[in-house]
Amino acid sequence: MKLKNTYIIAAFSLIAGFTFSQNVEFKRSNFKDQVDEYKAAEDAIDKGEELFEQGSAAIFEVRDPGLLFEKARKQFMIAQDLNPDNALNNFRIGVCYIHSTRPYEAISYLEKAHKLDPECDDFLYYYHGNALQLKGEFDKAVESYRKFEDAYRKADNFSKFVTMRKRECDNAKKYKSDPERCWVDNVSALNTEYDEIAPSITTDGSEIIFSSNRKNGNSPNEVGMYDHDIYTSTFSEGKWDKVKPIRGSVNSKENDVVNNLAFDGTKMLLHKEKDGYEAVFESMLKGADWSYPEVLPRQISTDRTNDMYAAYSHDGWSIFFARGNESRSNGTDIMYSGMRNKMEKNYGAATMISQVNSKFNDGPIYMAIDGKTMYLASQGHESLGGYDIFVSYKDQGVWSKPKNMGYPINTPYDDFFFAPTANGKFAYITSNRAGGKGGFDLYKVTFWGPPKQPIVDMEDYLLASIAKPIKDPQIEETVSVNKVSLTVFKGKTIDAISRDAVQAEIEITDNSTGDVIERFTTNSATGKFLLSLTAGKNYGIAVKADGYLFHSENFDIPKGSAYNLINKTIELKNIAVGSKIALRNIFFDVGKATLRSESNAELDRLVKLLKDVPSLKVEISGHTDNTGSASLNEKLSQDRAEAVVNYLKGKGIKAGRLTAKGYGSSRPVASNNTSDGRQENRRTEFEIIEN
Amino acid sequence: MMKRKLLLAIAGCFLISANGFSQELTEEEQAKLDSVNAVNEANATTAKSQEAYNKGIDFFKEKQFDKAIAQYKISIESDPNFKAAYYNKGVAENEASYYAAAAKTLTQLIEKDKEYSKAYFQRARAYQGTGDYLKAEKDYNKSIELEPKNPKAHYNFGTLQFLQQNYDGAIESFTKTIELNGNLAYAYNDRGSCHRMKGDYSKAVSDYEQASKKNPELAFVLNNIGTTKLKMKDYKGAIAAFNRAISIDKDFHLAYNNRGATQMERNKLDEAIEDFKKCIEVNANYAPAYANIAAAEFKNENYKEAKKNADKAIQLDPDYASAYVNRGMIREMLRDMNGACEDWNKAKELGAETGGQYYSQNCGF
Repeated sequence: MKLKNTYIIAAFSLIAGFTFSQNVEFKRSNFKDQVDEYKAAEDAIDKGEELFEQGSAAIFEVRDPGLLFEKARKQFMIAQDLNPDNALNNFRIGVCYIHSTRPYEAISYLEKAHKLDPECDDFLYYYHGNALQLKGEFDKAVESYRKFEDAYRKADNFSKFVTMRKRECDNAKKYKSDPERCWVDNVSALNTEYDEIAPSITTDGSEIIFSSNRKNGNSPNEVGMYDHDIYTSTFSEGKWDKVKPIRGSVNSKENDVVNNLAFDGTKMLLHKEKDGYEAVFESMLKGADWSYPEVLPRQISTDRTNDMYAAYSHDGWSIFFARGNESRSNGTDIMYSGMRNKMEKNYGAATMISQVNSKFNDGPIYMAIDGKTMYLASQGHESLGGYDIFVSYKDQGVWSKPKNMGYPINTPYDDFFFAPTANGKFAYITSNRAGGKGGFDLYKVTFWGPPKQPIVDMEDYLLASIAKPIKDPQIEETVSVNKVSLTVFKGKTIDAISRDAVQAEIEITDNSTGDVIERFTTNSATGKFLLSLTAGKNYGIAVKADGYLFHSENFDIPKGSAYNLINKTIELKNIAVGSKIALRNIFFDVGKATLRSESNAELDRLVKLLKDVPSLKVEISGHTDNTGSASLNEKLSQDRAEAVVNYLKGKGIKAGRLTAKGYGSSRPVASNNTSDGRQENRRTEFEIIEN
Repeated sequence: MMKRKLLLAIAGCFLISANGFSQELTEEEQAKLDSVNAVNEANATTAKSQEAYNKGIDFFKEKQFDKAIAQYKISIESDPNFKAAYYNKGVAENEASYYAAAAKTLTQLIEKDKEYSKAYFQRARAYQGTGDYLKAEKDYNKSIELEPKNPKAHYNFGTLQFLQQNYDGAIESFTKTIELNGNLAYAYNDRGSCHRMKGDYSKAVSDYEQASKKNPELAFVLNNIGTTKLKMKDYKGAIAAFNRAISIDKDFHLAYNNRGATQMERNKLDEAIEDFKKCIEVNANYAPAYANIAAAEFKNENYKEAKKNADKAIQLDPDYASAYVNRGMIREMLRDMNGACEDWNKAKELGAETGGQYYSQNCGF
């Protein structure tokens, strides 16, 4: 029996010898048969080391290491191909990945380095702690951080990182034990193996805009990465459509990172490099295209700081953004700058919001429509690791201490950006957590809301004489209600007769206070507009456009309404003298002047215009193509014009305001040589001749 | 003339042969004969009416209300002035829940006899059945005016006031019923329900207990004690009352359902589900028990089983608002948000406030 056990132990040792590798040093004697490969590996390690040191220094000073770690990793990988069992090289590759957009790749390298030789580098236990933290093994991570602390003797500022990591592990345990009531799902239709970041969503949830460094038409940089462009996708029939670059002149060969879409969807903030620093730009939606971005004034985009992740305030009067100052070692800080005059766009000096800033990077920022809620990302505060998303509330002019939005919105990985829909049920975030499509991905958060209590029904014979039991009416209990409910208000301004889009100026007034709460111009190409309004109020809308009658009306948005979307088409009445419109929806029997009933809708719109504007006098004219006899055409066109005039008179329009004229084929609007052209020429027109 | 004489002669022959007489009738005799025939005919009609009326009573006693109504109809056709037939027809129609027909029959009777006090009482019942509460109230008042000592009129008036949520008025009527020594168990029960609706649970339990003393065999009274004690958070007392109800009537499905609801309140989900299942064993078509299992399984986070039961509840009662609310919550957790929103919207349409709240908070953007 004893003999048998001895064999088993011997066999196990043999297997273990094959399974667990030894640390293989980069020594010429270890690679006698691969002289050239060894030389290349040595050179690569030398290059990588320099880049690695520079990257580590940037991290130490809470600066962006840029491409340093990625360049270093490429070098270390050359050495790794020759010798995958060197502890230090595995450690370095792991560190490079930790500081990349794919930190999950670091875990296997750091674990291998730890197994091969935990003493290979002074920082091994620190980064091994990072890997364990990413894996969710928080107690083991803290143990590793403590080992690092015990051994680290340098009197520098690095202890702030270790303290933060240990606190993150405590935070992660606390938040994971009491998760938020929500789902966080990878939006796979929008994501790729590349990075997708910075989602912004329209208030009606129908369009998303984000940045990605996926392959584009530009050349990749020295490490093979493409620049970030801004992309869009629309949500229809329950899914996101194909992703496309946004239209217009925004995307360039540099990194174009969208920051924030205004609530009405007509302008956006973005950041990109300018003279060696990141700067905030603004682009406007003109028709269907986004304009060339204009840099924001120096109060926001200075010459010597990195200014990025900007967001509009709820009323458009302020811009909140993150500023990175290389002379400081606290990373980016959240600032804001207020406009003194909206027309002149003269911003005041930017002020730091100290209550929401930490010793680490703070920002991106999203300002909620209530004007009192700020969603911000930070590597500090009560983070679970990396960037986390926090919320801060403004009370009596003071922003509260940022509160972590909890697990699973936040993880030990980087979780940032927060773009909620109007009703707060959904939000889109960015994360590089494990299990995605690669790098940073977009995730959709679905909030469950306050706990829902199922209804339990009881029945009684409350009245003895009634055989049918009566339901107890007091059985249902109420749940808490969102105090602020928003409704999306969309619509368009069109010509009442031609139905063509009209660019118009709109003012919306809150009738309970008399304040003008919105003033804007509708889209020149489509006449469309989109904004969100507080429900439970009565509003006045005033619309004006050159050459059109002033339009005003009043409408309610019911409180707690199921109608989260209100759609309104505003018809404007053209009253300019000389304005001429072809009435394409007036139909006659073939070769006759008998009006067909399908014409009534168009004719009745004309009647309404004439009744609304009693000063108008119009000429109704008939026109034919050049087919057939000219005299017959002239008579037919005159008869048809008179038929229209008779209809209008029949509806109460005075004859003195109406003139009928038949022009036969004398005034063509298109060539009579084609059937389409002839169709165009056969028409009834009305022209305003006096007003 | 010749022909007529011949016919008379034939008739005479027939009469003679039928009566054993052999003589021709004089004019005076013929008149007499006609008069007798008429009386006979009238008597036969009355007899027919009475016979049908009596048959109607037999059928009524056997609770064969449709057959009873048909007989009373024959009776009235035969004798349109037979007031008792109208009355009985009206009562039978009330019993068969043909309230509109009953109101019509009793109106015919009241038109014939405005002092027929019981007719007002029965017509009030009929109007109560059709939901015409104002007319019912008027008839109960008339009935009480004609017969102030009739406890039934006070009792029924009380139930009407209860349905109109006039609980103070109903308490007065039930108290009068008790004073007149009417159906004491029913009156105490219903007065207890008035107190319960007013939120005075102690008085409610006190009255229900009186009702139970007057008639210990009424399981529904014990059930009412149970549900009221549940409202008072006296879970032990509630379960004891439901147990007593079940011991009186082991097929009283509501007591199982309500005992299950009490277990839910105590967060004893397995016991609750067991009771809801017992309720279904007794009454397989009782939708609330399925909806309640769905609620318990939702709390258990067993969403698939919850959905199966919510589906069944809705299949049994497609207008069951609470079941839609519950199924919406279940579908949300099964990641079927569109389905959840459909259910909450349906619940809202059916009048469930919670459905409307969930819809506005969770659906759309």
